[in-house]
Amino acid sequence: MLEKLKELEDEARGKIEEANDLEELKTVKVRFLGKKGELTKLLRSLGSVPSEERPVIGKKANALREELERAIERREQVLQDAQRRERWEKERVDVTLPGRPVTVGQRHPLTMIIDEIKEIFTGLGFQLAYGPDIETDYYNFEALNIPADHPARDMQDSFYITDQYLLRTHTSPVQIRSMERQAPKLPVRIICLGKVYRRDDDATHSPMFHQCEGLVVDTDITFADLKGTLDSFAREMFGPEQRVRFRPSFFPFTEPSAEVDISCIMCGGKGCRTCSYTGWLEILGSGMVHPRVLEGSGYNPREVTGFAFGMGVERIAMLKYGIGDLRLFFSNDLRFLKQFS
Amino acid sequence: MRVSYEWLKEYIDPGKSAEEVADLLTLSGVEVEAVETFGPSLPSVVVGEVKGLESHPGRSNLTLVDTDIGEETLKIVCGAKNMQVGDKVPTARPGAELPGGRIIEATDIHGVTSPGMICSAQELGLELGSEEEILILDRASKIGDPVDELLGFGDKILVLELTPDRPDCLSMIGVAHEIAALTGKEVKMPRLTPPATGPSLEESLKVAIVDSELCPRYTARAVDEITIGRSPLWMQLRLLKAGIRPINNVVDITNYVMWEFGQPLHAFDLDLLKSGEILVRRAQEGENVVTLDGVERKLTPEALVITDGTRPVALAGVMGGEDTEINDSTKMVLIEAAAFNPTSIRRTARRYNLPSEASQRFEKGVNPEAVTWSQDRAALLMHELTGGTVLRGLIDQNEAPVQETEIRINPEKINRVLGLELDKDMVVDLLSKLGFAVNDNQEGTLDITVPLRRGDVAIEEDIIEEVARLYGYDKIPVTLPRGELLGNVKSYDERVQDLTRDVLTACGYHECITYSFINPSTLVRLRFPDDDPRMKPIPVQNPFSEEQAVMRTTLLPGLLKTVQHNYSHRELNQMLFEMGAVFEAQSLPLEGLPEERMKLGIAVTGQIPEPNWVDPSREADFFAIKGALEALFKRLQVEEVSFVPQTMPFGHPARCALIKIEGRVVGYLGQVHPDVAEAWEIDQPVTVSEIDLALLCEKANLVPRVAPLPRYPAAKRDLAIVVPKEIPADKLEKAIREAGGVLVSQVKMFDLYEGKQIPEGKRSLAYSITFRRDEGTLTEAEINRTQEKIQNALFELGAVLRS
Repeated sequence: MLEKLKELEDEARGKIEEANDLEELKTVKVRFLGKKGELTKLLRSLGSVPSEERPVIGKKANALREELERAIERREQVLQDAQRRERWEKERVDVTLPGRPVTVGQRHPLTMIIDEIKEIFTGLGFQLAYGPDIETDYYNFEALNIPADHPARDMQDSFYITDQYLLRTHTSPVQIRSMERQAPKLPVRIICLGKVYRRDDDATHSPMFHQCEGLVVDTDITFADLKGTLDSFAREMFGPEQRVRFRPSFFPFTEPSAEVDISCIMCGGKGCRTCSYTGWLEILGSGMVHPRVLEGSGYNPREVTGFAFGMGVERIAMLKYGIGDLRLFFSNDLRFLKQFS
Repeated sequence: MRVSYEWLKEYIDPGKSAEEVADLLTLSGVEVEAVETFGPSLPSVVVGEVKGLESHPGRSNLTLVDTDIGEETLKIVCGAKNMQVGDKVPTARPGAELPGGRIIEATDIHGVTSPGMICSAQELGLELGSEEEILILDRASKIGDPVDELLGFGDKILVLELTPDRPDCLSMIGVAHEIAALTGKEVKMPRLTPPATGPSLEESLKVAIVDSELCPRYTARAVDEITIGRSPLWMQLRLLKAGIRPINNVVDITNYVMWEFGQPLHAFDLDLLKSGEILVRRAQEGENVVTLDGVERKLTPEALVITDGTRPVALAGVMGGEDTEINDSTKMVLIEAAAFNPTSIRRTARRYNLPSEASQRFEKGVNPEAVTWSQDRAALLMHELTGGTVLRGLIDQNEAPVQETEIRINPEKINRVLGLELDKDMVVDLLSKLGFAVNDNQEGTLDITVPLRRGDVAIEEDIIEEVARLYGYDKIPVTLPRGELLGNVKSYDERVQDLTRDVLTACGYHECITYSFINPSTLVRLRFPDDDPRMKPIPVQNPFSEEQAVMRTTLLPGLLKTVQHNYSHRELNQMLFEMGAVFEAQSLPLEGLPEERMKLGIAVTGQIPEPNWVDPSREADFFAIKGALEALFKRLQVEEVSFVPQTMPFGHPARCALIKIEGRVVGYLGQVHPDVAEAWEIDQPVTVSEIDLALLCEKANLVPRVAPLPRYPAAKRDLAIVVPKEIPADKLEKAIREAGGVLVSQVKMFDLYEGKQIPEGKRSLAYSITFRRDEGTLTEAEINRTQEKIQNALFELGAVLRS
């Protein structure tokens, strides 16, 4: 009997190991351990065994059942793992295929710069101000201390609508509009971003372009404050290592006036083609608000002072993004625009 | 203004290099745009002396010139005839490279080998004389010396980019004064006193000013017995460096002196001015003058003219007249130095399109002291360089003598504006360097007298600038403004616009910026009827071209032009938007500022997404933009939006809609008519939309409102129906919601089918309906009842359930 048990064990173990899939293993399990399986059958024939041997054999048989069950479980685990591995393998993807397309749009590069400028100046406590593109001669020139027949009118060639109305040549009229709206309340601290128009058209000039205008009026505003404000702006816009240079200049609506240069962002100030080998790039004009401008807009120049500045947005964008031809901005060529997304 | 450094040294010795001076000037407000080098380097062209001349044995038009260049005497073949024995001439030896890259070699010329070349001025790169004429050098030149040095090649030219307030620097003396202020060096005035030996001018000439407002001062001097010819080479070279073409000795002297002092001069042939009279007056209607450029100018009383008492002989301050022009036989010259009204000169120069070195200076203002200096200087030079005799006396009609400006200023004010702490002595010192007379009146203020050459300095602030720029802008400290904090830095409209950009870019759209001006013919191409307000654009008076002739009344032309541009570059799939103003005139011509309305324009064409290996692409159509707009309306919490079918002049007859919010039209959406698209050379469907952003802002709410999350589960049921095609989808959805009442929380259409299995004239729509109750779970029976109600409502619209 013991020998039979041993034979059964060997055969069962052999079949379990040979089972190549779960189905086959199940068959093996039924065959040996099922209700009508071979082990049961063997136990049923226990009657023919001498009674003193029965407990020993019974015990052995039960132990064998447990062992075979464990063996089947182990085999089952192995087969299951193999089956899962096979399934994963079938699910393999080519990770080098391109991703599902996501269409990403983007703001116009000029809007990106405008947003950045707004962020910098609102962070410095400036409010946003607005004015129309079509302006009166008064706001565009007269109120800014540029009377008719003044040579300074040659500095900007204008597009006229009528003798009295024109496309604003700079955002400076918004200085006047802001002061008139607010006078005599202090402080005035505004920036204005918008379109301006001049009769120029080449690689560095466009008949329409964008400017940023800034104006601060308060008691005790100094030229040093102007320097500090624009210094902060240049570092925020172009990086903390930027050096800023102020040069005397002339604008009819500021006195003293200053042209502002930053160290060339291409060569770091060593001199290159972009900066005409000067190491400096001119980025904006500025100055202390002319007393006639203050007076005409409702402020007493003996009591308040102010500074103003104006810069070309395209110029900043060209420097920041390394763009050589200004006309690209208004071509709206997708091959250009998509480089920003 | 071009400043030759060699010439400048006549008036000041800065003791620095030209480049150092350029930096000093730039940083103090007189911007030096460039420092140029005059002339090329010509190491192998030397001074030769003509020792002998003989005819070429084979060619009579050629000459063999014995040329002594020191080491040897060369026999050079030459085509020119203008040299004589004893002349010094520029001689190029074999190996010499001339401007333009020509390399000189010993060459056989009709049987004679020429070991070099004698050069004309043009061959050396100078715009002087003619090509057939050898440049004759000064006889004192040393044989064998390099010619480039002799001609001043290598001299530095400071190119000034002057602001209009600094006409004083339109003169060598003015620039010298500026450099003196920066370096502390002295200005040397040139020699001024002419030996006046001739008869008195007053006996032969009468000068009168009729309109002293336009001509406050007129001076005249005369030089007789002059010989017209070329001016000396040094003067011609200096004029070339200044950018002025040498003409003859008399004209050259007037230009040379203008460059020195900034005072424009004019020279008349006094013999041609037959009347012996100068009368300055406005022109009369019907009068003409032929100017030096040979053009006959019709005059009006706007223009000031110099007359001989009866007829105009010059356009005052702008250009002289041909009748009295200096010519080869001129013997007696009248020199005019005057002061003219800047505005009048400016208008006349513009009107006749004659901007000149003279008019430019008169427009901006000339130093009043320079009038007599220039007269004296020009007379002296004419005496010395033309052999003339200067007549006694200077006629000076001065109707409005100019006074020096005096300004009182408190040094404290200077500090307050600049943010500095300069003491009074420092201020006095800085202003004195500029040649300003400063008097400390011991009352805490300074009385400053401004020299006449600085007409731009008129008020306290001008003095503050002078102090600041001389002290150095770089030494002014860097501070930030202090003061009250301001709120509300961004307007509501601004924030709505920002959000609109966020949503559209997230939807895959690229932002464009197009010109505010358009071609008016594009409005016709869009087929707007004549009475459409968009057909009344505001015209620009002086546009560059028809392309930019009127202000846009719609964003469509700009967007279509952009689509066209990209389409022509094979970018077939485009999703674009622009936000910008359109201009609406209340009346034309404009009588007040027009309304500028912010619009949002959108255009799509091609496939979305771009064809790819994984997702199917669909045509970018009406529903592409509608989806983006729905996303925008949702983000702005705009409700009650409807799309109402409406034909558009430029649109596909069956694919256009008005967009309404709460019943009010805010814009349109539609496919561009294929014929219109074709007019823009786009051969595929284009769909566009334009929305009034101001109206959108009115309805927008930027603060999201959040409802609590539902506490009870929802049930979803799908419902597929077949309906007659003409029933619009929004009517069906409305019916579902109304019939379902509060228990229906969401209705989503997820399928649309027409074709096989669906009868002609019908379509199948499938909805996913979400049922939910705020208080408590819905029972199966409740859901069924509600669904039945919904179905009945749909049946009433002619729907049947799809089996």
